[in-house]
Amino acid sequence: MTFQMFLFYFFATIQVFAGLRMISVRNPVHAALFLVLSFVCAASLWILMEAEFLGLLIVLVYVGAVLVLFLFVVMMLDINIAQIREGFARYLPIAAVAALVMVVQMIWVLNDKVFKASAPPPALPEYNNTEALGEVLYTQYVLQFEIAAVILLVAIIAAIALTLRKRPTTKYQNPGEQIKVKRNDRVRLVQMKAEKNEVEPE
Amino acid sequence: MISLTHYLVLGAILFSISIAGIFLNRKNVIVLLMCIELMLLAVNTNFIAFSHYLHDITGQVFVFFILTVAAAEAAIGLAILVVLFRNKRTINVEALDDLKG
Amino acid sequence: MSDLVPVIPEIFILTMTCVLLLVDLFIKEDQRDIVYWFSLAILASAFLLTYQGQPSERELVFGASFVRDSLSDILKLFVYVVSAGVFIYARDYLKLKGMYKGEFFLLGLFAVLGMMLMISSASFLTLYLGLELLALSLYAMVALEYHSARASEAAMKYFVLGAVASGILLYGMSIMYGLTGTLNIYEIQARLLEAGDAGRTGVAFAMVFILVGVAFKLGAVPFHMWVPDVYDGAPTAVTNFIGSAPKIAAFAMVVRLVIEGMGSLHEQWLQIFLVLAVLSLLIGNVLAIPQTNIKRMLAYSTIAHIGFIVLGVLVGTADGYSAALFYTLVYALMSMGGFGVLLMLRREGQEIELINDLKGLNDRHPWLAFMMMLLMISMIGIPGTVGFVAKLWVLEALIHEGFISLAVFAVVMSVIGAYYYLRVIKTLYFDKPDSELVMTSNWDSRLLVSANGLAMLVLGLFPGLLVPLCVAAFAG
Repeated sequence: MTFQMFLFYFFATIQVFAGLRMISVRNPVHAALFLVLSFVCAASLWILMEAEFLGLLIVLVYVGAVLVLFLFVVMMLDINIAQIREGFARYLPIAAVAALVMVVQMIWVLNDKVFKASAPPPALPEYNNTEALGEVLYTQYVLQFEIAAVILLVAIIAAIALTLRKRPTTKYQNPGEQIKVKRNDRVRLVQMKAEKNEVEPE
Repeated sequence: MISLTHYLVLGAILFSISIAGIFLNRKNVIVLLMCIELMLLAVNTNFIAFSHYLHDITGQVFVFFILTVAAAEAAIGLAILVVLFRNKRTINVEALDDLKG
Repeated sequence: MSDLVPVIPEIFILTMTCVLLLVDLFIKEDQRDIVYWFSLAILASAFLLTYQGQPSERELVFGASFVRDSLSDILKLFVYVVSAGVFIYARDYLKLKGMYKGEFFLLGLFAVLGMMLMISSASFLTLYLGLELLALSLYAMVALEYHSARASEAAMKYFVLGAVASGILLYGMSIMYGLTGTLNIYEIQARLLEAGDAGRTGVAFAMVFILVGVAFKLGAVPFHMWVPDVYDGAPTAVTNFIGSAPKIAAFAMVVRLVIEGMGSLHEQWLQIFLVLAVLSLLIGNVLAIPQTNIKRMLAYSTIAHIGFIVLGVLVGTADGYSAALFYTLVYALMSMGGFGVLLMLRREGQEIELINDLKGLNDRHPWLAFMMMLLMISMIGIPGTVGFVAKLWVLEALIHEGFISLAVFAVVMSVIGAYYYLRVIKTLYFDKPDSELVMTSNWDSRLLVSANGLAMLVLGLFPGLLVPLCVAAFAG
């Protein structure tokens, strides 16, 4: 067994374990953390396949942003764990059998000789994965790149349109108003007669 | 050596886990959303494996776009989830019975 | 530079939508009509741009990932028309519902852009991105009525099932990429032809995943679970949108992925399509009968119509594909009109939800009732209407290729389906009104509904206006 083989089995085992735990733990926060573990293993495997840029991207973008968003939402919502776990045991046998059948079938197909490609030689030292991706991304795939940008724009519009609501009870600060305030609006000078102190100091 | 099949089988297992998770967590929308992420991860692993063994960068380009779309999808999914929770005070899918087929 | 010419309509829509996004920020609440007219103007201009630049032959640009041919042009023209119609019907409904915001039109236009990309995709990548652009816009549109529990529930169901469908579709695409080494649909077609019978297991494996994804998006049985819930739960204006234009895009997806990409595997996907078509016709028509909610009834009727479209595709000849294309275009118009009539009415200040809410429409608004009747009899497929021409063409294509029993089954199902449409007509004409039924719409929707209803007759009597275009789309 080569070192690469060892790494593959190491990360693959952890990843499958994390996936299984993700769908079976009680607490959604733990589920999100297991998903993080699964993504980190995936990143390692991708780097093993010389996809360094995407391996790093998934850690930065996915683990760093998207899964944090998940955790944020889980913690923001007050979820009743007992309630959402009902029926888990009831579906478990069916789901387990269905998944097993599916895995066996898929493995049977994927073991076909069509997929038995041998590993390519390792890339040359001067090969740069990021550069190779960047070269095609901004030339051949420029149309798709633009569409991806539009999709992100739609996500922004949708997320804001759905969740932004003005509550009448919320108090807002308006910096413009604050800056425009004149001295006369806030300070009133009152003429008063000097008063004598009633209590004499001792 | 690690062969292509190794990665494909890993992808298949992850894909099946996510399908099983969707069956199991019908009551828990947030874990459903996580299962969808896991499913996309399985697909991405497949694409990268093919890209590596076919010596073709296209697969990695596709993964790049899937990641972008999945991030947008997660944002919208979570926004809908927040709206749903505000309206019903639950994320239990089976309590979602206003609409019955 | 020449790469950009076929993409001009897309670029135009994107640029103008971004302008509209900015305009919407700076206008006051009571000037929202500007956004409405602006978005209609965008669609009208895009129509002219697409119509003007019709190419004589297939053009492939952007690394052969974007295609423009006569099929893409006719589909896009109908997408513009149907989307504009949906916007017009929606205006007064949205105003009364307090949803008259710029986002409806903006997301609608982004969805149109997504559909255009799906229609013009020559690569898995373009198709996937277009599909997601469309789907994400639709999820958000369903949830736009954010204080309604029903709408957000429908949005969540739509989102989860749609995302799972995309995941399954992508898995199939990844295997197909591994087998052929390319994402380009025309290259995949060539390599599958070249490979012949070698590696058929793998190809069939990928095909099944792709077809499941496609069936989900089409809403064909057994992947139809989301259709009634989403149609029912979404605000009716959004239901109208989901039910019409995206069906055209879904048909384009079938053409690009299945007919063009996997054309050489016809024998294999024929089996799957047979099951989809038979189940859709059966379940759609039978389950529509007990519905009392008109939106749910129309949802099941959609499933039945999708069954007919799938029938046209599974024939596997250019004639069948043209028939399916004709059916899709006509169905989009019928569906738009049917929901449009619901959008124009209110019963005692409430939206129309039940079939009984339409009681006695003829006594109050005879012209509107007549239009609704035209749309309904067109959905049944009574001779003289365009629905009849569409059904007849699909059946002819089936019989020509020897699918006699399938054609008989489709006819029987259409007869069963006639029942629930006739019940609507009966409610319109023979039931006495028992409460106030008001037409709340302005002149623009009234004009449109007349055009929409009469189009059923005109196209039915003179099918020659549309048929040659559908034939030409698959002639190449």
